[in-house]
Amino acid sequence: MKHAAIDPAIELLRRLQRLLRWRLWVREKLQLSEWQITLLWAALAGFLGAMASMVFSALSEGVHELLTGSSAGVVESMRHLPWWGCLLVPTLGGAAAGLVLLYGSRLTRSQSSTDYMEAIVIGNGRVPVRASLVKSTAALFSIGSGGSIGREGPMVQLSAVAASLLGRWRLFTGPQLRLLVACGASAGIASAYNAPIAGSFFVAEIILGSIAMESLGPLAVSAVVATLTIRVLTAAQVMYRVPEFQLNSPWEMGPYVLLGLLTGTLAPMFLRSLKQAEEFFLSLRLPIVARLALGGLAVGAIAINVPQVCGNGYSVVVQILNGPVVWKVLLGVVACKWLATMASFGSGAPGGVFTPSLFMGASAGYLFGGAVHAVWPAGAANPGAFALVGMGAFLSAASRAPVMAVIMLFEMTLSYDIILPLMLCSVIAYYTAKGLAGESLYSASLRRKAAEEPEPLLPAGRVSDLMRADPPTIPAAARFAEIARTFLSVRVNNLYVRDDEGRFLGAVSLHDIKPYLGQPELAELVIARDILREDFPRIGPDRTLSDALGMFLGFTAERLPVVAPDSGRLLGSLAKGDLLLALVENRRKPVA
Amino acid sequence: MDLPTQLLAQPDALWLDLAANSREAALCGLHARLALSPAVTDAPQFLHGLLERAMLAPVCIAPDVALPHARTDAVARVVLGVARIALPGVGFDAAHPAVRLVFMVGTPKQQVEDYLLAVAAITRVLKAEGVHAGLLAARTEAEFAALLARGAQR
Repeated sequence: MKHAAIDPAIELLRRLQRLLRWRLWVREKLQLSEWQITLLWAALAGFLGAMASMVFSALSEGVHELLTGSSAGVVESMRHLPWWGCLLVPTLGGAAAGLVLLYGSRLTRSQSSTDYMEAIVIGNGRVPVRASLVKSTAALFSIGSGGSIGREGPMVQLSAVAASLLGRWRLFTGPQLRLLVACGASAGIASAYNAPIAGSFFVAEIILGSIAMESLGPLAVSAVVATLTIRVLTAAQVMYRVPEFQLNSPWEMGPYVLLGLLTGTLAPMFLRSLKQAEEFFLSLRLPIVARLALGGLAVGAIAINVPQVCGNGYSVVVQILNGPVVWKVLLGVVACKWLATMASFGSGAPGGVFTPSLFMGASAGYLFGGAVHAVWPAGAANPGAFALVGMGAFLSAASRAPVMAVIMLFEMTLSYDIILPLMLCSVIAYYTAKGLAGESLYSASLRRKAAEEPEPLLPAGRVSDLMRADPPTIPAAARFAEIARTFLSVRVNNLYVRDDEGRFLGAVSLHDIKPYLGQPELAELVIARDILREDFPRIGPDRTLSDALGMFLGFTAERLPVVAPDSGRLLGSLAKGDLLLALVENRRKPVA
Repeated sequence: MDLPTQLLAQPDALWLDLAANSREAALCGLHARLALSPAVTDAPQFLHGLLERAMLAPVCIAPDVALPHARTDAVARVVLGVARIALPGVGFDAAHPAVRLVFMVGTPKQQVEDYLLAVAAITRVLKAEGVHAGLLAARTEAEFAALLARGAQR
């Protein structure tokens, strides 16, 4: 049987068609969805956040070494300083921080609040860079000089700044940018405490007020990448190594209930005292440099006899957890630490009070456990266990985030034995603190949010607020081959068709054309106009986001074309992902 | 029987040796025959759609085969009219100066998938061995229709 000779040009065309079909198939199977792309950016934000945290950590240690001449821990360094050194170092650190804030304010006069929480909750996700850098530089001095304050605050702030810059560089929309900044914050917490789950839940529970997967997924990815980065580049391990604890009898839960009530009462008092200290320092009407120097001087004066008050309290917590500690000594240290934190925080020293809260909880728990042990040894066999549970309970009451507190304690200690009392105690502390009213650690930003918005059920705003410009389009006369090529070059399932005047005509669906990619005859015959769907849903820029949500519920596309109602011109597109993020943000819990 | 097979086995209009001296004449001639089908609900609008589409971009799939088509509200279902133009054929555009076979397709606007199914099936039938030459050589409408039906069933 004779075979007819095949024209080489036709054979080449067939091969090209097969290649095109194969590439499109591969592209479709491997095509990243909006959410997958979001996860990739979240991972990058996590990496950048970890790097920012590491840089800050290294710099604060450098400043500490510069001021004290010692590379040991803060408490150890202060212990070896003469009395005048104890006074001088925190005072100088406070003054230096004040100077940075004073002169830095000239650079940042026009910038809005630096608080990353505000940028996420009530802002547009743009965390001011210069103002954040000024505040973080000031924090280097207040923390490096032994201020009774935590360094996790600036670490999270810098991590959020890095994420915000990344999102701004990629021209993210408002909801996307806010989510990315939240990812940065999650990475910052995860880096600071080597606790990825707690990092995710910190942001989800406290800032976003939602654990919907739309937001929790990226937060988790960001936190995991940040933690991995920290673990690979540093010798980070479990934060608190604790001895094994054992719950010998269900009766032991009784004292934990009481501990929940105690910490739930103490935490609001602690926060209120910080607020009062802040008001006191402001009432002195001192220049900022003098105010911060005074705060440092107060800390230094206490540190002459009780150096444990310096820093965030980490080393003392480790001692408490691994006990034994003389209760009278600890009682004195707690009282002094409380005063020192009031001095540092009240004077306006930049830094966080998250870790100092852990100190207060550990101390309260240990003292309470010791007291119970004295009257009922079987009820509190190991006061160290009470210290551990007290940390979580105090944090739960102070942050009003019991889930995050339980997870964080578990991650920081990897001690599963404490889970039952920890959960019970944290919940009781949370409700006790809530019943006593007052504010949580993070109420200020969230209260402003509540004042601005009456918590609508559906997202407020207009379609134009979330619209992305320049969606992929093809002309009505685009041939089949051109349509296929365009689908290969952009990650969409529907290509918008517009006429010469830019009017929206409809959309060509990848689903429709996929079966016919192997037919070269169609490549020249079929044009976009032949296969466009004129009834493809569209929305005007002035329609509400609630309207858009209703339209998305009715069909399966990932994007809606935004079309001017009068001229019919295609203005842009609205992504379902952006809308869902806006919806998630609008369903935040009421402010604690 | 699927839609393309059904269409090709029983086209709504069939006309051998259509006498025409221009693209428009050929289109109008076959359209007039196809418009007799009850599935064509608005004949002028259908013709307008066909002409408009033919002016927008070429409708030929081979040197002597044209596939004028329109997606229009003027038809109630997919309709197919087939004509063989008398020699020497008519020019549809510069690249197709002597078209002999015309497959006219009308598809309701919403039925994008059916449109692609029909067009793809016609191109496939014409590629089948012997069909193209057979259609040009068929002496009767019955012979012509049988070739189309056989091609569709392959």
